[in-house]
Amino acid sequence: MWPSPAPVAFAIVSVTDARRDESDSAEPPQANPPIRRGRAPRSPLAAAALMAWRWLTRMRTALYLLGVLGFLSLVATVVPQAPNVPATVSAWRLGDEGPGPVVVGLIDAIGGFDVYGSALFLALLVLLFTSLTACLLPRYRAWWRVVTRSQPPRTRHVGHHDHVATLTTELTADEVDGRIRTVLADRRYRLRAADDDLPKQVAAERGLALREGGSLLFHTSFYVLLVGIVLGLLLGFEGDVAVVEGDAFADTTISYSDVGAGRWWDQADHAGFTLTLDQFEVDWFRDPRFGGTPTVFESTVTISEPDGATWTDTVGGNDPLVVDNMRIHQLAWGYAPRIVVEVDGEVVHDAHVMLVSTDAGVFQGAVKAPAADPDVGFDVLLWPYAPVDETTGTPVPTGAPWADAPLLVGVAYRGDLGLDSPQRFDTLDKTNLEQTGGAQLRPGAVVDLGDGVVISFPELRRWVGFQVSSKPTLPLLFIGGVLVLVGLVPAIYAWRRRVWAVLETDAAGGHTLITIAGRAFQRPQAFDHEFPAIVKAIRDATDADPSPTPVAASSRPVAVSRNQQDTS
Amino acid sequence: MTQAEWGELSTVLFWPTTLLLYLGAMLASMYAHAFTSVARVDAHEPVAGRRGQRIATGLATLGVLTHLFHLVARSLGSGGRVPWGNMFEYSSVTAFIVVAAGLVIFQWRLRKPQIMSMLLLGAILTMGIALLVYTDPGPLVPILNSHWLKIHVAAIVLAAGVFTTAFVFNALHLLRDTAERRVAAARSPAGSTVGAAYAGDLLEDEDEFTEAVPERDAVEDGVLGDDLEDDRAYGLALRAAINPRALFLGSWVAAATMSWVWLDLGRFLGVNTVFALAALVAWWFLPHLPSAATLDALTYRTIAFGFPIWTFAVLAGAVWAEQSWGRYWGWDPKETSAFLTWVGYAGYLHARATRGFKGRTASILGLGAYWIMLFTYLAVNLVVTGLHSYAGVS
Ligand code: HEM
Repeated sequence: MWPSPAPVAFAIVSVTDARRDESDSAEPPQANPPIRRGRAPRSPLAAAALMAWRWLTRMRTALYLLGVLGFLSLVATVVPQAPNVPATVSAWRLGDEGPGPVVVGLIDAIGGFDVYGSALFLALLVLLFTSLTACLLPRYRAWWRVVTRSQPPRTRHVGHHDHVATLTTELTADEVDGRIRTVLADRRYRLRAADDDLPKQVAAERGLALREGGSLLFHTSFYVLLVGIVLGLLLGFEGDVAVVEGDAFADTTISYSDVGAGRWWDQADHAGFTLTLDQFEVDWFRDPRFGGTPTVFESTVTISEPDGATWTDTVGGNDPLVVDNMRIHQLAWGYAPRIVVEVDGEVVHDAHVMLVSTDAGVFQGAVKAPAADPDVGFDVLLWPYAPVDETTGTPVPTGAPWADAPLLVGVAYRGDLGLDSPQRFDTLDKTNLEQTGGAQLRPGAVVDLGDGVVISFPELRRWVGFQVSSKPTLPLLFIGGVLVLVGLVPAIYAWRRRVWAVLETDAAGGHTLITIAGRAFQRPQAFDHEFPAIVKAIRDATDADPSPTPVAASSRPVAVSRNQQDTS
Repeated sequence: MTQAEWGELSTVLFWPTTLLLYLGAMLASMYAHAFTSVARVDAHEPVAGRRGQRIATGLATLGVLTHLFHLVARSLGSGGRVPWGNMFEYSSVTAFIVVAAGLVIFQWRLRKPQIMSMLLLGAILTMGIALLVYTDPGPLVPILNSHWLKIHVAAIVLAAGVFTTAFVFNALHLLRDTAERRVAAARSPAGSTVGAAYAGDLLEDEDEFTEAVPERDAVEDGVLGDDLEDDRAYGLALRAAINPRALFLGSWVAAATMSWVWLDLGRFLGVNTVFALAALVAWWFLPHLPSAATLDALTYRTIAFGFPIWTFAVLAGAVWAEQSWGRYWGWDPKETSAFLTWVGYAGYLHARATRGFKGRTASILGLGAYWIMLFTYLAVNLVVTGLHSYAGVS
């Protein structure tokens, strides 16, 4: 469970003894390895490397690096990022929007439009992880020593601690020693091995290994996350596909657009299923107060696997479908009217045209029919809800998305569609086109535009945009995330305590005098309750009485004198 | 009752009901505090103080109840969903958590009711922000109806409430620390370290790991010693050490770095002024505040409590993003901002553990982390847009 110790081939490590002016968050056993002393002079290169390494192992460096990371992320929240909003970025670059060319030039200089893809960010990550490694190796070693070799120390001044209590008992020192050990071991204190030093003493400690171990696990889990992310990029696959209701696609790379495949992704890794979109259901609250808030958003699909297995399932907004190694997410949707175009009695276009929703509530797309001569094209707009106004008798488009009264507007163009050069599927390149007319259609309508062109709108369906991906490292990332938390909690909440019990035999009276002392490294308030409980447990276990010459338990005299910061 | 009526009821419960109750509780608590610890000279006044404290506790408890009722009504008025689906609701729940946790922890467990007045101030400011982004109750987008989302948002809101509490301690710490240092410097020309460093470890190193001095609350709140006249003088010296005009201006400008995101002059001026006035109230309270060391310890503990919750919230958010958008992390502005806040608080925790960075530097980092949290919360919702566009304000 715990990270194993670092390879010990690590010369510059040692545990420092600096006193720390700490209160809550005690610096753990080691962070700043001291200089290696008394060695022969090194080559300048080695000296530089050593200096760099020492710089990297400083906690302060980690803090600066975190600061730079924070700054870059802040840039990324304020400056539009090309991978997220490419249109805004080009608008900034063109000067249509944004702070102007000077600032944009500065942003570009540091790669500010794609912070997380920039060389600066990569360099920072490398530095952070190097620094992390440099910090962790010595800490592992120190931690391992704590766990395997170190012992809770004896105390030399039992009366000087913040918490002191004394008891006397009839039992012999050896008997008392055994019983106190049981009490403390039950409370999960680690005990110092018995020795013959006098006075006889039980020294115990808890929390150190757990607190520091938690911190180590916490930091180490970043490597797990890093490995998960990098391997995920190398092994993963992601592609988008849009399907009209009733249609299907097969899981092969050529089916997808916007393919992002890792270097180690192989064609053969596709699951090879076929997905048929049986139906896509979407609906909204019609109450104008909540207008536009969807209530359903779900695809019903039929999957046929290569081995012949076939089943029906759903893909919802928060509910991806997993088929073998592939994950299917439903991300986008739109209307897909079937549009038939005839020119001189010949069908030149008959297909479901995918329309994309716009901010104005209208769905927009294009029909391209190069089969006609000259080419025919349509700009297509669809208002899903355009009821007829009672008084004027004309349709009134609204922004509502539900298709209760769809109205399709087609604007016809003829000329050259320019399909030799790449263009978007949902817009026309109008450089060599001429507008020739237009029509408004309800479902089922057929409109003769003259010039031999007839357009009809027999049917309205919907299309769905799926993302199909393979992310083999998701479980690893999940484990990494769990480890972050599992480590963090003890790193912050495990409290270090030390307890001593000094046993002195009163030769004359045949009593054993027990002096119990305690020290809390964190959360002293809690210890104010823990310590008396320990004293009571020891008292019960040893049939002891409070000492006739009591030393006030837990009166905190030391604490007060230490912290009189209010007085001057 | 119909859904719409529940919605209206919930709004009335929020403003004016709960807000006024909190305001009353805060004023009563401040009044009580002024009596119980400054004017101890007069034997009669503690009675007035105690009565004031009882009124404050009563009002705050009542306020928490009406606030809870508001949340329930809001939920019913929105068709039975959880009442944390948009910015208004996040802020409301955050304020609720601050006051409820404050009552439980400081009022009843630690018995330090004077801290309540400051927490109430924080809650009132948060509720003021909530009113500025008010949205009518309504259903959520189904994309939001996922368990992971509820967990994610609940954790974020909880952590934000905890960080808000920490911010109050943190800001008070810096203020009190500055005053303590100045007073100390004035009293000992050689330059004292009072308020800055703990006395050395009295114990010898007993092994290689005995470096840390145990964490200690400084002497119980506020003024020390038996000499009441001296206490008074010290308290007044603390107050005199801070120039209220500079404090007002500084706080006004600090708030301005945040409030511009509304791009609305009225709100800009209003928010800055309210914040600066709150700073003045804190200034007046300087003599009654716990010592800088106590405030520092409270800040650390509160942040240390909030940090794992925030961490968990970010991880839960990644799980949700994977379910709903098909990627667990996309550096979308909201994700970036959650990450940034996390880095900010990790920076604070590191600074606490780094020699030479402790104390004021760490405190300033803590303030910075809170600034980042608020700024990204507001700016990303109001100005920048991303996939996470469900803030519910337009
Ligand atoms: C990858 C970036 C890092 C993050 C996000 C991070 C985060 C954290 C956090 C949140 C803590 C607080 C846990 C606690 O209080 O015990 C912590 C503690 C600590 N970190 Fe890091 N850390 C990072 C890198 C580093 C590096 C590079 C070093 C070494 C220079 C380092 C050294 C330490 C030490 C010594 C502690 C213990 C402080 C204590 O006990 O309070 N960390 N870290």
